[in-house]
Amino acid sequence: MRRFRSTVLGASCALIVLLTACGSGGGGSNSNNKSGGGAAACTGGSGKNLTVGVSGAFTENILVAEMYSQVLANCGYTVTKKLDIQTREISDKALQKGEIDIKPEYISSELAFVDPSAPSSGDPAAVSARLRPLLANEGIALLPYSPAADQNVFVVTQATASKYHLKTVDDLAPVAGKLTLGGPPECPQRPFCIIGLKKVYGITFGNFKALDAGGPETVQALDAGAIDVGLLFSTNPIIQSKGWVVLKDDKGLQAADNIAPVVKQSVLDSTIKSQLDKVSQALSTDELTKLIARVDVQREDASAVATSFLQDHNLL
Amino acid sequence: MGVISRAIHFLTTAHNWHGSTGIAHRLAEHAGMSLLATVIGTLIALPVGLYIGHTKRAQFLAVSVGNMGRALPSFGVLALVFPFTLRYSVLRFGGLGFSATLIALVLLSIPPILTNTYIAVDGVDPDIIEAARGMGMNEAAVLRKVELPLAAPLIVVGIRTSAVAVVATATLAALVAWGGLGRFIVDGFATTDDAQIVAGAVLVALLAMVTELLLAGMERLVRPKTATRVPFAATPGLIRRSRPTKGRS
Repeated sequence: MRRFRSTVLGASCALIVLLTACGSGGGGSNSNNKSGGGAAACTGGSGKNLTVGVSGAFTENILVAEMYSQVLANCGYTVTKKLDIQTREISDKALQKGEIDIKPEYISSELAFVDPSAPSSGDPAAVSARLRPLLANEGIALLPYSPAADQNVFVVTQATASKYHLKTVDDLAPVAGKLTLGGPPECPQRPFCIIGLKKVYGITFGNFKALDAGGPETVQALDAGAIDVGLLFSTNPIIQSKGWVVLKDDKGLQAADNIAPVVKQSVLDSTIKSQLDKVSQALSTDELTKLIARVDVQREDASAVATSFLQDHNLL
Repeated sequence: MGVISRAIHFLTTAHNWHGSTGIAHRLAEHAGMSLLATVIGTLIALPVGLYIGHTKRAQFLAVSVGNMGRALPSFGVLALVFPFTLRYSVLRFGGLGFSATLIALVLLSIPPILTNTYIAVDGVDPDIIEAARGMGMNEAAVLRKVELPLAAPLIVVGIRTSAVAVVATATLAALVAWGGLGRFIVDGFATTDDAQIVAGAVLVALLAMVTELLLAGMERLVRPKTATRVPFAATPGLIRRSRPTKGRS
């Protein structure tokens, strides 16, 4: 037994040494590549401390936050990651108080949060123009948004869709009284959810079940038929793999939720701005969905997936 | 207005007490769920504890189950069980999240009742049992007429420990879409409504205290009369009290 243990110990030591060696070797060749390709030789950071947070701790936001962290660390910033903040309520406060300096945000959700009376819009340019001054008042800069958007979508199973002939959210109106909606606990208070469904579509569901924000509970409940309609995120890979139907939001309840970095004004500099811009431009909704599948379905490490994406796009 | 006064306002607004999402309904759900879980837990743990205590068999099992059960995180059980309760139609009763919460709470309630019952029965004076057998009682009668009455107070203490833990933990039901007082805490957290969180927490604490008091009363009821008829000389307090009397005389 003891001999076995020491063998294992030796082997794992060797493995660690090997990995470390590989790691530093890889890093070296990487930086060579960088100067060679001229992609991302970035030195503007000069050790400045930055804390990167998330809007909410779900895979996609964590992935993007990882990308922000890695491109900034690559520029010489000392980056601390705080990727376990659960909700926007908390992460917005953390940003205002300087507990975090940067987080990936969704422009329409953030706008609805900062100004609940703001009209929603499917045009990301209009949304970000409206949001920018509101955030500026709080000392927070909104950087240009990415083409990648993650929107709330109402999803039904194929069976439910055929049974009630559902293609659009509007189609729910005559049958909603018989159906159960599942979504996050804050859904009844949100314009994108129960409030908006009633106001924009005139839809009131027979029942509401407070589950999670597009997470495993909602997915499991929808899969088992415990709920009929689930509020999920458009980039959730499970929608495709289960063959579920995304109801078309024909009245534009779900406003353009493109991803954009929000940064504490007091720490913002031109290097941060240009680096985060490059990440935003490299991202697309499709690409992001695939990255999420790698983390959620294939169980790859989010940090490693972010690294491989950045390397593929010459950002590291 | 401070969070405490806002919470008081929340609790004293009549509107918040009515309807299917009102405090009264949530309180009833919470109490009902807790009661059901504790009763099921007792029905499972009590016979097993009595058997082990009486026969002195499988004591190791009782201790292990008791200790391991106490280390089991209810939230973990809930998260683990929830998908299964969706998958199997047998478990789809009481509304979404009901059976998952019930299973987690029953598992939580078993260890204290099991351990206390076993220890209480095991601890009955062997001389008394010997005497009972000498009087011609069979094993069932020994258990029913001698061991159970003597063990009853400690058994009720076990049930009390379980019930209070169950009331406090039933808050988790709200995490899997079910009701109960946890709704106020979970929904309040999701919308940063501090007042609602505090109000929910206060209600849970009050319900736990009421549970504690009720079962403390029950414990007094089941206390065997013999315990109050302890001989004078054997009561240390009385001996101590008699000394100053001597001094004065």
